[in-house]
Amino acid sequence: MIEVNELTKRYGSVLAVNGLSFTVRPGLVTGFLGPNGAGKSTTLRMLLGLNTPTSGTATIDGKRFRDLGTGLRHVGALLDAGDVHSGRSAAAHLSALARSNGLPRRRVDEVLQEVGLADVARRRIGGFSLGMRQRLGIATALLGDPPVLLFDEPINGLDPEGVLWVRRLFRRLAAEGRTVFVSSHLMSEMENTADRLVVIGRGELIADEGVTEFAARGTNFSVSVRTPDTAVLAGLLATEGAEVTSDGYESLTVTGLTAARIGELAFHHRLMLHELATHTPSLEEAFMELTADSVEYLAGQPQ
Amino acid sequence: MSTTTMAAPTPARIRNLFAAEWTKLWSLRSTYWVLGVGTLLMIAASITDAIRTTSRWSELMEDLRARFDPMSVVLGAPSAALLMLGASSVGVLVVAGEYSSGLIRTTFTAVPDRRRVVLAKVGVVAGTMLLVGVVIATISFFASQAVLSSVTAGVSIGDPAVLRSLASDALLAPVAALVGMAIAALLRHTAASVITSCVVLVIVPSFFKITVYPWVDDIYNAFPLYVWRNCLSMLDPITRPYFPTVTGSWIVFAAWPLVGIVVTAVIVHRRDV
Repeated sequence: MIEVNELTKRYGSVLAVNGLSFTVRPGLVTGFLGPNGAGKSTTLRMLLGLNTPTSGTATIDGKRFRDLGTGLRHVGALLDAGDVHSGRSAAAHLSALARSNGLPRRRVDEVLQEVGLADVARRRIGGFSLGMRQRLGIATALLGDPPVLLFDEPINGLDPEGVLWVRRLFRRLAAEGRTVFVSSHLMSEMENTADRLVVIGRGELIADEGVTEFAARGTNFSVSVRTPDTAVLAGLLATEGAEVTSDGYESLTVTGLTAARIGELAFHHRLMLHELATHTPSLEEAFMELTADSVEYLAGQPQ
Repeated sequence: MSTTTMAAPTPARIRNLFAAEWTKLWSLRSTYWVLGVGTLLMIAASITDAIRTTSRWSELMEDLRARFDPMSVVLGAPSAALLMLGASSVGVLVVAGEYSSGLIRTTFTAVPDRRRVVLAKVGVVAGTMLLVGVVIATISFFASQAVLSSVTAGVSIGDPAVLRSLASDALLAPVAALVGMAIAALLRHTAASVITSCVVLVIVPSFFKITVYPWVDDIYNAFPLYVWRNCLSMLDPITRPYFPTVTGSWIVFAAWPLVGIVVTAVIVHRRDV
């Protein structure tokens, strides 16, 4: 169980995290979402005692992380796959960490096997690809067999097979009763993995709820209609109060009316429809809509 | 399910942290190179010095022969400067290497008690560098005295002044390494830390020469390389006023690494990473 309470971090005049409160429960995969610069990494770093909060608390099972002795046995974390010394081999890197926590030597071989790096265990990390480094980071997180796991952008650099493997791993870890907290700036990644979402923007909480509830938040769903009589139908729909835009030849996008009502109108006026489809907002769109106001670095906008 | 509940916090055992830091130090190829080549270089310089002195012995003036200090060839002044430079760089790399690579975040995620991590690093670095210092001093001593014995009476290892001089030679390395660690903890940047250590430990004290102003001499007497050169390394240190004393010099040799350890521990503990 991770508890974040009124957590705030200020860097000079910048509020990186502002009064953030949420809870991450065991047995579930919880996604931690937000645009770039939303404060996700800062929050995770404060959870791990790497950065000191300006105010507020972040605890893991009721304790501050810095009060724990052997961190790996309590919390496994992958913050940045680059947080390694490139001159060491994967095996040496992991065995130094295992020794610091008094973990048996065989754990190193076990986690290397689990992440698929057993064959390159003796090679220098400097020669690893980003995907291999991510796997090494995941191996580090699993080393102490911890009840709580934190992953910051773990999918970066993984190939499609690796992405599938990571998703299954997260599901399995959660099914074993562990707390799994995974940050990402990509909503689509969480759609397939997470049970719950904590969404932040500009350091503030936007949502803390189940994935389905979150998706239902997207308000601007639309209906696409294809008909030979676009002009007639458009006129009819407009009188019913709908907003109609033409998408080109024989195709309309309608907002403000349900697909059922559009079909009914067409039927009464003997208009032929070739297609009638409700376009439900995806998780991605719900996310974009909710974080639109809080994007820190927006492309193509005058400053 | 046993893994779902958090076990009671177990303190990180210092023995395990030593083992971890030991693994880290010796799993880098550069450690073998720097320490191996450095040690051989120091010993070779000592033997070369002894050979040069022996070959010129007959040309030397009488008073120079009388004043000759057989310990001066064990570790010459340029070798001492190089030794401090190399040792401080090892100390810098052990700390700044972790900060610049980001490994420090992985380290502190594994062991949140930063002061213990620092203690383990200090132990491993000081122990390794002391061992290197002892090996260099001992081998250089026996080799150089064997060469010198053809022209002048060598000194005995059992002589208290000889042991004091050898101890100061051996301690230069750990003293410099711990100062290097503190500078790296402050600056966190490898190149800047190496340069700063070099300036503070070697370059600045190399320009010091005894002055007529006692307060200036007091400042000089606070630098390890200066007191090593003008007191601890000598068989028969000069006992005039304003010159460093043996006791005072040992205090300097103790104070620099102790301050270094405290600075490293406090800064690493307090600052965000």
